[in-house]
Amino acid sequence: MSTSDEEPPAARVPATGAESSAVSAADRPPAPPPRPRGGKVRTAVRGFGEVLITLGLVLLLFVVYELYVTNWKSGRLQNEASAQLEQEWRSAPQGDRELHVDPADGQAFARMYIPTFGVDWSFTVQEGVGPDALEIGPGHYKNTEMPGQPGNVGIAGHRVGKGAPFNDLDLLNSCDPVVIETGDSFYVYRVLPMRDEVDGWADGKGRQQRCANVAPLQDKQHAYDETFGRRIVLPDRGDAVAPVPYKARNPLPKASQASLLTLTTCHPQFSDAERMIIHGVLTNQYKKSEGTGYDDLLAEIGEA
Amino acid sequence: MYGWIWRHLPGPVALRVVEAIVLVAAVVALLMLVVFPWVEPLLPFNDVSVQ
Repeated sequence: MSTSDEEPPAARVPATGAESSAVSAADRPPAPPPRPRGGKVRTAVRGFGEVLITLGLVLLLFVVYELYVTNWKSGRLQNEASAQLEQEWRSAPQGDRELHVDPADGQAFARMYIPTFGVDWSFTVQEGVGPDALEIGPGHYKNTEMPGQPGNVGIAGHRVGKGAPFNDLDLLNSCDPVVIETGDSFYVYRVLPMRDEVDGWADGKGRQQRCANVAPLQDKQHAYDETFGRRIVLPDRGDAVAPVPYKARNPLPKASQASLLTLTTCHPQFSDAERMIIHGVLTNQYKKSEGTGYDDLLAEIGEA
Repeated sequence: MYGWIWRHLPGPVALRVVEAIVLVAAVVALLMLVVFPWVEPLLPFNDVSVQ
């Protein structure tokens, strides 16, 4: 190997005895003449091939990085943020757990749950949608409302890598709950009817108990004519998180705005050509009390 | 390329194997810790917000 990596290894026949080895030596076909070495073209071609193979391996490694390593990193960051938020809430006096009106960039200020993705699905929500905030978990669009308020709470999250909190967002159906926990309250939002469910909602899915407070917004306000449970839009539709979605110029006074939650992620998966938008409407809110938590809430809203 | 590297690694075969493993590990670490984090923001699936 030290002088060449291309000479075929010398043919060996297992020696079972003196006789057989003598026979095999005679029968062995003559070793092929050593191939000419050192041709510049050969070297170049082989080098080129090795470079291609190497690039392929690097690409595979990148996939591993993107799908696993970023998840480990984000998982660690998420755990830290979660522990810190927990401690913040625990240390604040009960009466003083008002939501931070203006949390700092990248600071976790709420927790979100989507029971449809499993009871253990929970992430802290950070302020801002910059890369640093989103690496920790879902991020809150800074210019949008805080949870529970009339208007629109916009939250963005990764769909691939970095914990991929919104990996399964396409699996959400109408009436599926999205719970936001703040220092003092749980806010239960439920996904709005899909576009094709709007007609006949009241006599169809709208009769289910879990859809009790969910109705097409179009019925009440024409301003919401484009707001459905799920939409796929182009990335420049910043108005998806406007107080009245898809109305860049706000047509309604705050008091008559619906309390909405809007989740955004990339679409299709592994691409940034479009965005998937999920709209939900506030259906219940519960003041937190000592000794009760998310599990009790799930039972309360019938999702346990 | 790999043949050339192998021929230039010093020492007996056993030692060379160890050296080769260390080299591979170093390259992987460089990719994971420096190159990939740098490349990543340039790729499409990290844009999840509307603007």
